[in-house]
Amino acid sequence: MPVLKGKELRIVGFLCNWCSYGGADTAGVGRFNQPTDLRIIRVPCSGRIDPLFVVKALMNGADGVLVSGCHPRDCHYAEGNFYARRRLEIMQRFLPVLGYEAERFEYTWVSASEGQRWQQVVASFTDQIHKLGPAPKIIGPQAADTLNQMAAAL
Amino acid sequence: MKIGVFVCHCGSNIEATVDTAAVAAASREFPDVVFATDTMYTCSEPGQDEIVAAIKEHNLGGVVVASCTPRMHEQTFRRTVERAGLNRYLFEMANIREHVSWIGKDRESNTNKSVDLVRMATEKLMRNRPLYSKKFDINKRVLVIGGGVAGIQAALDCADGGLEVVMVEKAPTIGGKMAKLDKTFPTVDCSSCILGPRMVDVAQHPNITLYAYSEIEEINGYVGNFEIKVKKKATYVDWDSCTGCGICMEKCPSKKATDTFNEGIGKTTAINIPFPQAIPKKAKIDPDFCTKIQKGKCGVCAKLCPSGCINYEMQDEFVTEKVGAIVTATGFDLFDWSIYGEYGAGRYPDVITSLQYERMLSASGPTGGHIKRPSDGKEPKNVVFIQCVGSRDKSVGRPYCSGFCCMYTAKQAILTKDHLPDSQSYVFYMDIRAIGKLYDEFTRRAMEEYDTKYIRGRVSMIYPQGDRLLVRGADTLMGAQVEVDADLVVLAVGAEAAAGAGELAEKLRISYDSYGFYMEGHPKLKPVETNTAGVYLAGACQGPKDIPSSVGQGSAAAAKVLGLFSKDQLESDPQVSVVDIKRCIGCGKCIQTCPFGAIKEMEFRGMAKADVIETICQGCGICTSTCPQGAVQLQHFTDNQILSEVNALCRF
Amino acid sequence: MKFQEELKDSIRKALPDLDVVLGWCGSFDPLHATPHFIRREEDIDKLEISPLSVHNLATYLPGLRGKKVGIVVKGCDSRSVVELLQENLINREDITIFGFPCTGVVDQAKIKKALGHAGNVRTCDISDSAIVIQTEDKAHSLTLTQMLADKCRTCRYPDAIISDYFVGDKIGEPAPLETDYAALEAFESLSVPERFGYWLKELDRCIRCYACRSACPLCVCRDHCAAESRDPHWLSQENNVRDKVMFQVIHAYHMAGRCTECGECQRACPVDIPVLMLKQKMNREIRDIFQYEAGVDPEATPPLLSFNMEEENITEKEW
Repeated sequence: MPVLKGKELRIVGFLCNWCSYGGADTAGVGRFNQPTDLRIIRVPCSGRIDPLFVVKALMNGADGVLVSGCHPRDCHYAEGNFYARRRLEIMQRFLPVLGYEAERFEYTWVSASEGQRWQQVVASFTDQIHKLGPAPKIIGPQAADTLNQMAAAL
Repeated sequence: MKIGVFVCHCGSNIEATVDTAAVAAASREFPDVVFATDTMYTCSEPGQDEIVAAIKEHNLGGVVVASCTPRMHEQTFRRTVERAGLNRYLFEMANIREHVSWIGKDRESNTNKSVDLVRMATEKLMRNRPLYSKKFDINKRVLVIGGGVAGIQAALDCADGGLEVVMVEKAPTIGGKMAKLDKTFPTVDCSSCILGPRMVDVAQHPNITLYAYSEIEEINGYVGNFEIKVKKKATYVDWDSCTGCGICMEKCPSKKATDTFNEGIGKTTAINIPFPQAIPKKAKIDPDFCTKIQKGKCGVCAKLCPSGCINYEMQDEFVTEKVGAIVTATGFDLFDWSIYGEYGAGRYPDVITSLQYERMLSASGPTGGHIKRPSDGKEPKNVVFIQCVGSRDKSVGRPYCSGFCCMYTAKQAILTKDHLPDSQSYVFYMDIRAIGKLYDEFTRRAMEEYDTKYIRGRVSMIYPQGDRLLVRGADTLMGAQVEVDADLVVLAVGAEAAAGAGELAEKLRISYDSYGFYMEGHPKLKPVETNTAGVYLAGACQGPKDIPSSVGQGSAAAAKVLGLFSKDQLESDPQVSVVDIKRCIGCGKCIQTCPFGAIKEMEFRGMAKADVIETICQGCGICTSTCPQGAVQLQHFTDNQILSEVNALCRF
Repeated sequence: MKFQEELKDSIRKALPDLDVVLGWCGSFDPLHATPHFIRREEDIDKLEISPLSVHNLATYLPGLRGKKVGIVVKGCDSRSVVELLQENLINREDITIFGFPCTGVVDQAKIKKALGHAGNVRTCDISDSAIVIQTEDKAHSLTLTQMLADKCRTCRYPDAIISDYFVGDKIGEPAPLETDYAALEAFESLSVPERFGYWLKELDRCIRCYACRSACPLCVCRDHCAAESRDPHWLSQENNVRDKVMFQVIHAYHMAGRCTECGECQRACPVDIPVLMLKQKMNREIRDIFQYEAGVDPEATPPLLSFNMEEENITEKEW
């Protein structure tokens, strides 16, 4: 469905199955209200998340991307989040050169029991993305379409 | 693929804030969706039957259920589609309860979001492939780590159930903390009288192999087929021939060795047997105190040993054991109370821990069961017990209740009166937690029959006055300052995770909480399982526990192991990584990053290629995101499956 | 070059044990060189080393795996060899490396710009300081340092890091003509929409020829590049700028911790898209976080294939 205009922005979450997805479930069970922008993709481990998924999401029109895994030292697979931390950090620092604010992407750690922390993370990340506003979107096959619209917007 | 979508109301749990009929209607417009409906309770029997019927009627190739979290019902519905003849992996869930209906009340946004999640699930489902488990043999031996009461119980139950058991204990004797206790609450029966026979059973059981004074060096493998490397620490005594006669101990001239078993009350000899009932009853040398090992002189024990088993050159030895399951029963350690300046931070010899006091009460302890002040050996008259030392105290990072201290303090107060009828005991407490069977009656007895003075409040200061200790505290019930002249102060130190718990958890690949206690699989429904298949928990390693609970968990863990081993073969999870041999360039990056050593290099037509060992692969997918070639793909979470989800959500 | 004859002697000595030696020779006009595959004794004489020896010949090595290969390397090329060794993509015992002290190679795009539409090149004389090019109508004298490739203006490794034969005198660590990443930093100071628009505008020219990939010594997927693959299906085959940008991001990320900034991707681009900047950005971040530089030590573990429990230079967001 299209993004609800004026109400929501498109935020994609990649969550590890063992900790953060469980944390988001815990937040749900606790009825901790959250903004509705975020859509969650479940992966087994934060180490499974190819940072290129983040770019793919942004280039396909996401306004923000959030990754969450188990806390360091608490990875179900022992080391996945340690690799993830390095790779995601690199990608976060890389994004600005492409013309995306680094703040459009965040990664964090939420355990299965931290429902409240999850609520806090979602609320504050959604707020962060709304403050940035919609990300630039690529329209049409040629650059001119997008560039003209950007010029018009400016 | 023909896809059917079932949108669950979950009673009003979802329907109240999501228009499920609208979600179903929107789903019908998605590619490949041929059937969509909303149902009241999809997980109920009629709900599941509806899925089965629809699969048959519409010849569905895959099913999406939009309902609760897959962590709740994924297994349920996988069985449902399997019942209708589909492969269990041709199924996806959209979590519209925990992630939608329960976290917001805006029906428009929720409905819109639910549609997105269903779309995402259908797009992924289109790229799902049937996956099949492989069967593999299991090794029906079990490793029990830790020989305390929980480990002993688990080991004996497993051994009696016909399993071969390997027990590894890091101390020179099994028995754990319970072996150090004099009496147990609330029955005040003798600890070693009830534990001793169990320890002997372990030693004599034909199915149990015991490695005492040994540690786990390395754990490899997976459920059904673990390979354990055990480090047998050097004892400098050949245990095969040691008879435990104790002559070496009688004659050893070095009498200043730390007496760990007696909690440092008194000293022991450099070569020693921890206590008379030790299992195994074998001597070991403490090399730090042995004159022969330190200075090359002495050798008295070697000269006197009737079986000639002293070997000053002994080295650590490693043995490998293969098992199919592991019970972790590593227990707890005591909080280091010297952080508390108000209790003297360890400066006053007559302020001791509850476990030191326990050794003092024990007839086989260093004082022969006589209560004596460590400073001058005199019998105390006033004994002050302070509870919650390192429990329920945020300021020292121990906000949790250790659970058993209230009870053992009451027991120690009772025993004090039994030993010294003229004595008077005082207990400073926060709350009395006596929730077990006969527990509250027991604490009442301590107060009423044994005249123990319970003072509700904390101690603010202990300082020496003459040869006594002045204990100053608050009585919060009276709203007054209290001062007690104490001859002996006993601190009810709390439990903390055993030293080295973290390192062992990393070897076991299980998780632990912020205090180092191991995490159970589910706080209510999986109390002895962990999230690593084939690894179980028993006793206080999972959280502070008293003896009956530890024993109960020991038996529960044994029951789990026996249940696991009731099959001859296990099924592997097919959600593992698979290498596409034509894409693989043999660079070995996946091998380098796999945390489980599940990928090996193999040769294929003269070229190096990666090869995943299915039974070792745990399905994390680190290799998949490492491989730039996309040559190794985690099944059910392939790049294409995740990309299709991204594309479903972000459509320019 | 002074040591050219010495180099030929070394190759002559080694050639009997080798299937092929990779070097450079003259090309279609005096201003260009081309890769030269020396298989026989008589091929050796054609070898020419000059500031026109722009190609990174390490690109050929993975494809020649299993053969005994000699390769002539500039300092920067040798880093690619180191990287290939580190990644297990070539065997050290199969490779014979000939190193020389490199004083820099030209950027043909800069020369083209300086010459304008000048017609055919008749002669090209390169001295230590100047390039004199005789075209159909007149002689152009260009200052060599100004024509050098950007990577040479910041070069810190003029001598081969690894070699079996080294001819000439080593230069050691020279004083770079420019500071690293100056252009990148200037770009980063642009506004967000400017940066976003820049890549759309530049990559709009992309014809998806993938010369950048073919020239890259570390693009080793051969026939299975993400650009054309359907499994995994990262990119469509449509002619759209989104996929063109995405491909460059994929290339840059796949190079993270591996790229030695040899610049072949950008040099090979027929439409002069400044794609190297993306890799430089990745590299600078890797350097800042992990103090790591690719292609220096064949035994090193690259940062993205390892971790520390506590990361000194990573500060996570507080929520």
